[in-house]
Amino acid sequence: MRLQGMCGKRESGSQGQVAFQCQLLQSSLGRPSSPQLPWLRDELMSLQDAPGGLFQMLPGDPFPEQVTVVWLSVLALAFSLVCEPQETLSLAEMTLRRLAPRLLLSLRLLGPGIDILLCPDATDGLLDHLLPHGHMLFLNEHFLQAMDRELGIKASR
Amino acid sequence: MFTAAAESFLRQARESREEELRRFAARVSALLQGPEAGAEAVDGLQRLHLTVAATKYPRQLNGKFVELLQTVLCSPKSPEQIQVLCAAILREMSPCNELILSCDEIQDTKLLSLVSSVLLAQEDKGEVAAVGQRVVKALEKRLPEGQSARFLLPVLANVISLSPASLTEEQTNVVSKKLADWLRYASIQQGMAQPSGGFFSSPRTKQPAPITEVDGAVATDFFTVLSVAQHYTQDQWLNVQAFSMLRNWLLCYGGKELNTLHPGDKAGVDRAVTSVVSTAGPRERLRDKAFEYCQRLMEQSTRRPLKKDDGDLQKACLIEAVTIMDIICKQDSSYVCRAVSSLQMLHSRICGDATYARALLPIAQFFLNHSKLAAVDSDAIYKHLFTDIPAQLFHNPSLAFEFVQFCKDNSQLFTDSSSIFRQSFPNLFKFLAWNSPPLISEFVDLLPFLLDPGTAIEIFHLLLDLPCLTAALDIQLRAAALPASERARADPAGKPGTCLEAFRHPLYKGLFQHLLRTTAAPQDAPESLVPLRLLLGSLAGSPRVVQCAETVPVLLELFFRVVAEFADGSLINQLVVLLLQRSDQLYEIPAFKEDVYRVLGSQLAVLCGLRPALLVELSSEILEFSGAVSNLQSKEPIFTHMVWAVGEYLSVSCDKRCTVEQISRFFESLEAVLFEITQLRPQACTPGCAPRAISVLMATLTKLAARSQDLIPRVSMFLSKMRTFVQSPAVTSVYCEEDLEEILIRATELMNLLKMPSVAQFVFTPPVASTRLQREANDSLPVALRMVTELLEPAPGSVPV
Repeated sequence: MRLQGMCGKRESGSQGQVAFQCQLLQSSLGRPSSPQLPWLRDELMSLQDAPGGLFQMLPGDPFPEQVTVVWLSVLALAFSLVCEPQETLSLAEMTLRRLAPRLLLSLRLLGPGIDILLCPDATDGLLDHLLPHGHMLFLNEHFLQAMDRELGIKASR
Repeated sequence: MFTAAAESFLRQARESREEELRRFAARVSALLQGPEAGAEAVDGLQRLHLTVAATKYPRQLNGKFVELLQTVLCSPKSPEQIQVLCAAILREMSPCNELILSCDEIQDTKLLSLVSSVLLAQEDKGEVAAVGQRVVKALEKRLPEGQSARFLLPVLANVISLSPASLTEEQTNVVSKKLADWLRYASIQQGMAQPSGGFFSSPRTKQPAPITEVDGAVATDFFTVLSVAQHYTQDQWLNVQAFSMLRNWLLCYGGKELNTLHPGDKAGVDRAVTSVVSTAGPRERLRDKAFEYCQRLMEQSTRRPLKKDDGDLQKACLIEAVTIMDIICKQDSSYVCRAVSSLQMLHSRICGDATYARALLPIAQFFLNHSKLAAVDSDAIYKHLFTDIPAQLFHNPSLAFEFVQFCKDNSQLFTDSSSIFRQSFPNLFKFLAWNSPPLISEFVDLLPFLLDPGTAIEIFHLLLDLPCLTAALDIQLRAAALPASERARADPAGKPGTCLEAFRHPLYKGLFQHLLRTTAAPQDAPESLVPLRLLLGSLAGSPRVVQCAETVPVLLELFFRVVAEFADGSLINQLVVLLLQRSDQLYEIPAFKEDVYRVLGSQLAVLCGLRPALLVELSSEILEFSGAVSNLQSKEPIFTHMVWAVGEYLSVSCDKRCTVEQISRFFESLEAVLFEITQLRPQACTPGCAPRAISVLMATLTKLAARSQDLIPRVSMFLSKMRTFVQSPAVTSVYCEEDLEEILIRATELMNLLKMPSVAQFVFTPPVASTRLQREANDSLPVALRMVTELLEPAPGSVPV
């Protein structure tokens, strides 16, 4: 289980695949590929309608085993989770939909800053809670709120 | 947007030189060793991390500095942020030679988790084992006040996925016992909020409230991941962690215990596990608690959640619960009966609810694995899964992906040609038609399992009509979305104005139904889908249809490759006839048609090579096809390969039934075509035919003449006229110089060859090649032609024979 950031060494190959799949999905839905206006914070916390998908990568490059990639596109950014064969994909999709907005908010990814590059501690903190040691958690909404409180994230519901 | 600034910053980090890096590291080192490691140290560490992470090759940092990072990481005085950054840098540099880290002395569980993340990144089984030992030791004892085991379970989960052999049996028993307790006996009362304020604002101690279910009702049974509280206790967190890692744990360590036989037990007797026997081993006990937990989750998933997102979790939990039950039953078959009844009830509850469709897959998998043992008939479950689900939910990309994975994981099911699985292939293709890009590679793996003599023809049609299917599915969705009042009332007398109207119109209804069928129907093919294809022409440009069309050539090539392995003469003949027929009946997308023609053309040549006798057996169909100039103009690749095959295989040596009359008939027909396309018309705008077609026609006519020698004068005369043809102004404006030269050279070579009829016959009628050597000899025809030409018209200065 790996979350791919911009600097991942082995992960850049699969990020290329994600961009490709995202483009194809957007085009099949007839949507423009340019990003829309920044969303409101509330809308951001629940990304039900954000385009996303699943695809498989064969063993070889860049991962030695066969993996399934779960991806999500938010504005001009793509997030992906690389799953091993026996991991539950519906949980991976949920986890990604929860991680993405929290990363966007904590790292201020929508602004002009470069926080994602210079705040590995913030990223690690989030990942440590939602994906500790790369393992997914079955968290209901109340657990998630409790976690947000621990992280100091104020998410209005 | 941030990208431009980030890009340049990243580039700077990548391009920073070793000397700069060394100096910067020295500065950070000084800051870290100073009295207060503050914001400047944080900033420095962050930049260092970026520099190390930004390059694909490993960056060297001073050994002493790396040692310092480790010291700072482990020091209890270091602020948390600094510790996290040190760990991040160390991980980024892994595997690391200068590691002195050890987790043995660390008592704080959060720090232990952080240090473990570095150790586990070293790709060293010894380190993994050491971490595993330390974590189990910490879990065994009662943790000091304020410490939580919550941070240790994910470390353990990582240890077992990296190296399951790290733990001894005794240790796995210890952990299994704890997991069972955490799963079954977590507190059923809510935790307390952390007190804020101070002495004066401490609230009156309230009684802790009980936990609730996701629908708000007070909890009826033990705590699970679907239990709700405002604040959670430590053991409730552990309950969540334990369930989250349960599947992997059972897969690694859930097998039968070695010493569970009690005196009096007969070997092989199933024991009905209705109560926990106090002498049950830890694994057995964990299985028992895990099973109970899964049953509880199944009950909890029936409740209507107050928060919408909890509904998603209910479904994920259901999938996980069924999968874990499957694993438990594989490890201990005494659970099968109980599981079967729970799952049958679950199935009848959710099978009508589209939002639970993904959970039907692990349920079906369970029955595939265990129904024989339980003597249960689960055909209805498979039938519902394969007949109803793809038809209703093809547009759900996650379901589509998982469904196709399910098919691939159970590919042996498709070998039985009468089974519901194999018969549902029209339904399966709906997933591909709608979600082409992510599923094409999955279907490349799946298609061979669907093909056999009984399905080949139907699948051939289906592949050629795949983009049509996409369009039809689009119409189906839109028609279903219309409110009842707006549903087009079909006027049987009139013609429908739009595709939507046509969907229910008597003229088209049957055609739509055939295209959208759920099971194989080889006998029920309607007369022709041509009217439907024409109708759906308006959707040919839609992006989804175009994406689907792009997958067809790849699948077609695979189709022919697989079919060639088992097809008998009758099937090959059928395919050739259909190939020629269908070439006129394709969905009107220009790029799609071109690609399909290319594949069909080359595969036609392969089929003829596999069974040369078909040239004689299907001579009337082939004659009709190759005699029409319109076929050359609209389907050049197919036409050219057909003509080539006639030249190669229409001979007595390939089939004794080949008569002189047949050769003559083909000759006359092809001669007429060649004549037609090489006529010099006064109109300036004659469309040019592919030069390749002209070459192949000339070669084929020559070959046929070599086999029926009184045709030789006719061909020779024709070939001699080619010089005039290529030199005429009307032609030089249409073709390029190289092509014309090639045509002329080829015509000359062929003419020369015909001057030596017996040589020509030998060259053009090789024995049917059955070995690779013979086939290679045949492929060297152009070389042979050149050699003969040189013999007849030696270039000045060439070596005499």
